Amino acid sequence: MFWQQLINGIALGSTYALIALGYTMVYGIIQLINFAHGEIYMVGAFAALVFVMIFKMNIFLAMVLAMAVCLLMGVVIEFIAYRPLRRSSRLSALISAIGVSTFLSTLVLLIFGADAKGFPDHVFPVVQIHIGSAEISSLQLLIIGISALLMLSLEFIVHHTKIGKAMRATSQDYTTAALMGVNVNLVISFTFALGSALAAAGGVLVGIYFNAVSFNMGLMAGLKAFAAAVLGGIGSIPGAMLGGVLLGVVEVLGVAAGYSSYRDAIAFAILVGVLMFKPTGLLGQKIQKKV
Amino acid sequence: MIGEYLENLVNLVDAYYLQIFVNIGIAIILALGLNLVTGVTGQLSLGHAAFMSIGAFTGGILTIKLGMPFSVNLISSGLMAAFFGVLIGFPILRLSGDYLAIATLGFAEILKVILLNLDITNRALGLSVPLPNTPIPLPIYVWLTVLLVIAAMILIQNSRFGRALRAIREDEIAAETMGINTTLYKIQAFAIGAFTAGLGGCLYAHFIAYINPSDFGFSKSVDILNMVVLGGLGSIPGSVLGASLLTAAPEFLRFMERYRMLVYGALLVFLMIFRPNGLLGGVSVRQLVCKALGIKPRPRQSLSTDSNMEGRRVK
Amino acid sequence: MIKKISVLILIIFMLCMSVYGAAGTVKIGFMGALTGDVAMFGIPTLAGMKMAVEDVNKAGGVNGQKMVIVEADNRGDKPEAANIAQKFISRDRVAAIVGDPTTGITKVVAPICERNKVVLLSAGAVGTGVVELGKYIFRNTLLDSVAIPPLVDYFVNEAGYKRFAVVTSDNNDFSVSLTQVFKNAMKGKKAQIVADEKIKDGDKDFSAQITNIKAKKPDIIFFSGYYTEGALLMKEARKQGLNVNMFGGDGLYSPTLISLGGKAVEGSMVYVGFFPENPSPETAKFINAFKAKNNGKLPGLFETQGYDAIMMLAEAMKRAKSNDPKKFRDELAKIQNFKGVSGTITIQPNQEPIKSPVYLLEIKDGAYKLKAKVDVKVNK
Repeated sequence: MFWQQLINGIALGSTYALIALGYTMVYGIIQLINFAHGEIYMVGAFAALVFVMIFKMNIFLAMVLAMAVCLLMGVVIEFIAYRPLRRSSRLSALISAIGVSTFLSTLVLLIFGADAKGFPDHVFPVVQIHIGSAEISSLQLLIIGISALLMLSLEFIVHHTKIGKAMRATSQDYTTAALMGVNVNLVISFTFALGSALAAAGGVLVGIYFNAVSFNMGLMAGLKAFAAAVLGGIGSIPGAMLGGVLLGVVEVLGVAAGYSSYRDAIAFAILVGVLMFKPTGLLGQKIQKKV
Repeated sequence: MIGEYLENLVNLVDAYYLQIFVNIGIAIILALGLNLVTGVTGQLSLGHAAFMSIGAFTGGILTIKLGMPFSVNLISSGLMAAFFGVLIGFPILRLSGDYLAIATLGFAEILKVILLNLDITNRALGLSVPLPNTPIPLPIYVWLTVLLVIAAMILIQNSRFGRALRAIREDEIAAETMGINTTLYKIQAFAIGAFTAGLGGCLYAHFIAYINPSDFGFSKSVDILNMVVLGGLGSIPGSVLGASLLTAAPEFLRFMERYRMLVYGALLVFLMIFRPNGLLGGVSVRQLVCKALGIKPRPRQSLSTDSNMEGRRVK
Repeated sequence: MIKKISVLILIIFMLCMSVYGAAGTVKIGFMGALTGDVAMFGIPTLAGMKMAVEDVNKAGGVNGQKMVIVEADNRGDKPEAANIAQKFISRDRVAAIVGDPTTGITKVVAPICERNKVVLLSAGAVGTGVVELGKYIFRNTLLDSVAIPPLVDYFVNEAGYKRFAVVTSDNNDFSVSLTQVFKNAMKGKKAQIVADEKIKDGDKDFSAQITNIKAKKPDIIFFSGYYTEGALLMKEARKQGLNVNMFGGDGLYSPTLISLGGKAVEGSMVYVGFFPENPSPETAKFINAFKAKNNGKLPGLFETQGYDAIMMLAEAMKRAKSNDPKKFRDELAKIQNFKGVSGTITIQPNQEPIKSPVYLLEIKDGAYKLKAKVDVKVNK
């Protein structure tokens, strides 16, 4: 039973990681806690649902299109709600993000109604694979695989491409990067595009996995992803993955040990506990205090 | 006698407006507490509602079980919340920036889950809170508390203590070099913030007459933060304005029916874009008032309550 | 100065009077969420209420007055719900307020209604300690404390289940109180609770809980929460190869349970106060009318309770020959065997509603089918 619970935990953690990756990337570049990230994930799931149910598309095509929709949305949101606030207090941008989040979840509620919607059963063929006494479904494997793949490709983009170099320069020093000829607006738009597309992919996968998509799924998912990102060290891409998986495993093992009523408390207690000993998260860089 | 007289006085006010007015009062108390922590001291807290819940449950349980005089009850609620503020603040105020933010959020979530599992809070069923044991009508009580809290906040912000807090916000390392014990000051600010949240929670519990641990979740904390930031970080008149506007806004926007929250969300975004430092951020209300009355304002030290760069920099 | 104030007071007074003067209609306030996290309960309640008002007005209204619903969205927010209740009472001069479908907000609104002597009829509050809040506070829900004991008898003695797994939604008052009732009813029965798991409303991942339950080999899962989580719970159970069924209260009665749960909820059981397959004439009429309006969609629990709430109020008003809440309140308290679409309702002397008989429904081929009919004792 322990192995089964561990698999449950890793699969759940991977869904957190999927959202946390985009969160942490946006944070890494402009130090914004993007509370609207969870809503983009939710919109991504709904977009795919529309493509599957109404346009009868293949789920993979629907996922790519949903990513495209959210990519565009991420860029537009950044342009309207965050760009004008780039030089103001970071809290102003935070409130703006909360405004966007309220707007998006209400919009989806008005269009799709309040009840949860599910993907059709046959949309993704699920096969159970037995490993000893435990079993893992093909969908769980896919989620774990995709989140690992996305993490690696993000690492690659950030560390081995030209735009990645520009991203790192922007995150180090916005003004100097601009002076050195980096088109910071483009870099930030790109970051949002990438992050939002990731969120959409996460939304679709999680939507199929749990078979439920609802207008209010973004908030809690966003919070957990935020917690995962901070746990791993916010701004660090492998950290988001590690934080997500750790959070998922701890939660599930807590339930397995018979503390299902304290599930969320366990997750956050681990987070606070880790921060006590490593104030910048597991893989986070030390904050350099400028004197 | 006096109670009856005051009751009649309250009954003169239109009941619907009175209801909104009292909710505004409670929101002001909550916002002012968070303003001290986040606005003045610069420590972002995403768990203010947790302290409110401690005050609400302490107050509610004291009234239900002991029926104590309301003033004793109110102070106890504040103290209990302040106690938790110190308890939580002591370990986590070493953290900075967004790590502190998530730690406060984490504590709020942990507390909520614990309260949901206690018998004394009646778990998810919550508590129905009876009328408080006081001859003074609750609306008057709330607004007296509001005035007291405003006065206290003005005193704090203009004191040596308040200047130390602002120094921490502007540059923690420099403040420490100047001999300010930053951790101690931060914990004190946190405790005062928690105390006011406890007061607000206790008043809330008795006014709304029913409390449930789920009411004090992340969304409530965010609501309070909205008020503080929208009003202008560090500005007392700003917090008062922010709390009043955001509490009344859903009522004003009621005519839009289902599209109301859509507009509310968009409004938040646009208000922030047009007033990035909050509505009253960088505005000196004192100077405005003096100007309106045609008096020449007395010059003050540069770090006055609600002037200049407030809200520009929260780390 | 005094003059100015008195003029102001006079103006406010006149404004109030002008609203009060609007004769010819009797207003009913809708208290519930149309946006926010609990909108899935508020929206269907309002839909049911609107259909009922149409029917009432088609039949000539009540005591010569047309019925009108005043709606306001409380977002599931308690201070806002209190504002709205006060607005309904002092601005709109409603005769009664229907709602809120959640127990918590009902408890916030109840003292305000009681103070102002306006009837509050909750179409959905099932938690304990609601009608105790006052003479003007009613509800038309299925009372679990009377429905559960005979059902437990049925499951243990007739269906022969011995090992029960209990799942509770921890942050849902309905679920927490239903579990309490269930556990009390299980005491002294020849059956045991082998697993006691907690979830939260809004959770999506139940894999850990199901793995735990599976290890305990139960005969059946008792889930006390609502339909969304119920569907997801069963999906997860089937995914892990746990092939026992679920049963639960009327919170599970919704077409969404079936649309979301699909094959996984086949065999799941819920108990309700009505019988959609071979309904009473009232229920049949309602279901057909509802389907005609909503592209063939079936009504859920909240629609039926919203509909009944309005019908009960209209009935009480007619019997009292008055639309004054101080008068029709007494008739509402005396309602006996009211043929509602959510069941046959009797208000007991302690103001608690009883729906008898209770029907146990089972999901078969994607529809709710009758499994058993259980009689409930009515305390006279």
